[in-house]
Amino acid sequence: MSEPQTLLRKGALEGVRVIDFSWIVAGPQCTRILGDFGADVIKIENDANMDYIRASRPVGGSSSPNRSPLFTTLNRNKRSLTLNVMHPRGMELLKELIKKSDVIVENFSSRVLEKWGLGYEEQKKINPQIIYCSMSGFGHTGRDRDFVTWGPTAQALSGLTFMSGLPGEESAGWGFSYMDHTGGFYGTIAIMMALIHRNKTGVGQHIDLSQVESGIALTGTSVLDYTVNNRPFRRDEMPPGNRAPDRRIAPHNTYPCKGDDRWCVIAVTNEDEWGSLVDAVGNPGWASEDRFASMESRSANQESLDAFIAEWTINHSPHEVFDILQKAGVPAGAVQTPMERAEKDPQLKHRDFIAEIPHEELGKARVESIPMRMSETPWKLERPSPLLGEHSAEIYTELLDVTPEELITLYEEGIA
Amino acid sequence: MISQSHQTPPERIGGVLQGITVIELCGARGQFMAKLMGDMGARVIKIEPLGGAPERQIGPFMDDAPHPDRSLFFWAHNTSKESLELNIEAPEGRKIIRRLAATADVILEDFEPGYLPSLGLGYKNLSAGNERLVMTSLTAFGQDGPYRDYKSTDIVALAMGGIMHSCGYDDLPGSPPIRPSGDHGDKIASHYGLMGTLAAIFNRHFSGKGQYIDVSAHEACNSTTEHALPTYLYEGENVFRQTGRHHSTTPTPKTLCKTSDGKYVIVFQLFNNLHSWLSLVRWMGDVGMAEDLQEERYKDMARGGSRGMRAAPDTTDSDHAFEVVRRFIASQTAKDIYRGAQNLKFPWGEVRSPEENLNDPHFAEDRQMFADIPHPELGEGVSFKYVGRPYRFTESPWNAFRPPLVGEHTELILSVDLEYSEQDLKTLELNGIISSNQNQRSKDLT
Repeated sequence: MSEPQTLLRKGALEGVRVIDFSWIVAGPQCTRILGDFGADVIKIENDANMDYIRASRPVGGSSSPNRSPLFTTLNRNKRSLTLNVMHPRGMELLKELIKKSDVIVENFSSRVLEKWGLGYEEQKKINPQIIYCSMSGFGHTGRDRDFVTWGPTAQALSGLTFMSGLPGEESAGWGFSYMDHTGGFYGTIAIMMALIHRNKTGVGQHIDLSQVESGIALTGTSVLDYTVNNRPFRRDEMPPGNRAPDRRIAPHNTYPCKGDDRWCVIAVTNEDEWGSLVDAVGNPGWASEDRFASMESRSANQESLDAFIAEWTINHSPHEVFDILQKAGVPAGAVQTPMERAEKDPQLKHRDFIAEIPHEELGKARVESIPMRMSETPWKLERPSPLLGEHSAEIYTELLDVTPEELITLYEEGIA
Repeated sequence: MISQSHQTPPERIGGVLQGITVIELCGARGQFMAKLMGDMGARVIKIEPLGGAPERQIGPFMDDAPHPDRSLFFWAHNTSKESLELNIEAPEGRKIIRRLAATADVILEDFEPGYLPSLGLGYKNLSAGNERLVMTSLTAFGQDGPYRDYKSTDIVALAMGGIMHSCGYDDLPGSPPIRPSGDHGDKIASHYGLMGTLAAIFNRHFSGKGQYIDVSAHEACNSTTEHALPTYLYEGENVFRQTGRHHSTTPTPKTLCKTSDGKYVIVFQLFNNLHSWLSLVRWMGDVGMAEDLQEERYKDMARGGSRGMRAAPDTTDSDHAFEVVRRFIASQTAKDIYRGAQNLKFPWGEVRSPEENLNDPHFAEDRQMFADIPHPELGEGVSFKYVGRPYRFTESPWNAFRPPLVGEHTELILSVDLEYSEQDLKTLELNGIISSNQNQRSKDLT
């Protein structure tokens, strides 16, 4: 054995190549994190079939496919390859690329890759160690495999939409496609688990991810309350709004603050914090009433308790409440706006949460960074989201041994 | 003396993480990431304070009878783990953690910053004899910065992280932003903590070296708000919350539609393309509810197409069309609308309560999404249905076993892994390093 080498790796996943057919949000969220960890993510599109988030709210209203803010944040640290897989030569080149890759990710509906003749069995013939992650709504098996989801569909079916809201009202649900992001996280998690397993065994596999199932997997406590106690979540007093019925802790809620539609949250989890809260709001008379003397009685009387607390919060901005209570040792927070998160939050600033890099059409790309610091393989914003086809030439000639002459033909015939 | 173990941890053959040992020192924020590793075959040793983790006090409880081994909240987040009940502040307790860390692959912890280092259990100490060690600290705000020592809970993370700003109602005057229930602030943090941990395990295969990962729940939530930040960063505008649908800078058509059985379905992309529009109108016409939607001007709108979240351009015609569709939906059950629409390729969904998926044959039968997990401590043959795997691997099983009773594996781990003698264990018990209460607690349980 030679001496142990000090390897300077550019990222935790350096050396992993990912073929990325994914689009919209869920798949790109998955491959964004793989790219953030240093994998070489090759995003495959073509002029006729591009990721249509490229067209989402382009800056300056332009028709350019390179100016969407959401696209920019979801696709940094990736390379773009234009390739038409419907053309026989395009398919040949894709197969070459599969030989040289570790992972294939797609979030098409469940039969698309089979129709291309590229189901997992075919992929394995090309590259026996390939890890194939399909991210569909309902999975690749079962009677409803042809049903389709967007984030809101998966949230509705899994139970997450219903669990968000005030009792007796319609569902508030999630104000965005939470299950696109979380479904993406599960894709990333599963792919890395499969890579770790492959390091040890040499065996690849197909990860059959269903967006609805990833959502169901987040509802564990509620499902157990039904299977163990026969108590459905669909009942009169549910969903719980911002209260915490199963923790029997109070106060636990949102409270109105000074300003138009401004709110804070307070969550008192033990007697010490209750004492600190009472001191911080100036030891008002109500705080010493018997009905607020214990966690149990506060919980039972939280309607009145919340009204008293609101009388105090309404005279302060959300961040004043946050500062006063946190300094007193009480868990509290401001319901922060996007502006406050992007411009003001001193913690996010201290941690360099918003990262910048030059971008050919946007001047600079500003994106949220990956929310962690790794001591040996720190995150880098290596490149902004790719322009459509930006890396085609280098990938064709350097990786797939296409000659410069053929490259011209590929472009002329609409293959590249 | 400690009673015999109720459950010897099963062999974990074939799991993708088989062979990886995780020491978990986590509460509510981090318990889920360790569970996800255990369910895929890692050996997870959960360190609990004497008397058990505080999360065991959180309900609901089996039969509504509070007991540390009957918390369903704890069950849901702690499958596939062993429990070592230990006083980690006492010198002998710290020594046990250091000895476990010497051969472990991963430490997961979610204490406040500085706490473990103050016990001599920081990454520097623990990795001193084990440079392959990966350690992930999952805190509220991160290991440094002005908020480092601030307190947080799930709702604080969701408020400060911007998620609540996007969730709530635009048609209920004076209503607050809403925290979606289900501990998602903790779950988002756990998902990121797990991603960092797995990346480091992969990296270690090539570098031979572990690393320390500092994950902030605050940043994790802040990076999980979709359009909110990009829209502000590029357009300088705040999105606002809208009932049951996406945040936006402008009002969008409502997507929740009430059905004849008092439930709701999510309805969008009416004018996706001509083909789907015609199929929808045909379906409505079959039950005599298409009204005037066969008219040409609606076909023109569908020809124009509008992919994305908006149901249609904001015009009088599209509002009218949506009202007609809403009347049609109000005449049908949620299930019929959901299945009928999906058969026509509309991505509409029924707004289900979580337990309703137990009756969905696709998930419950064909895909076996729910797992029967035995609880022999509650009687022979007793088992309960849990939610199952979030992903399906063709070559490797997902395989969960029930969460541990408090301190269930204390004796096993100390005697088998660390070779403590029976006499040593008695001394630990006398000195308050491990618990002597397990016999009594088990009796209370049954």
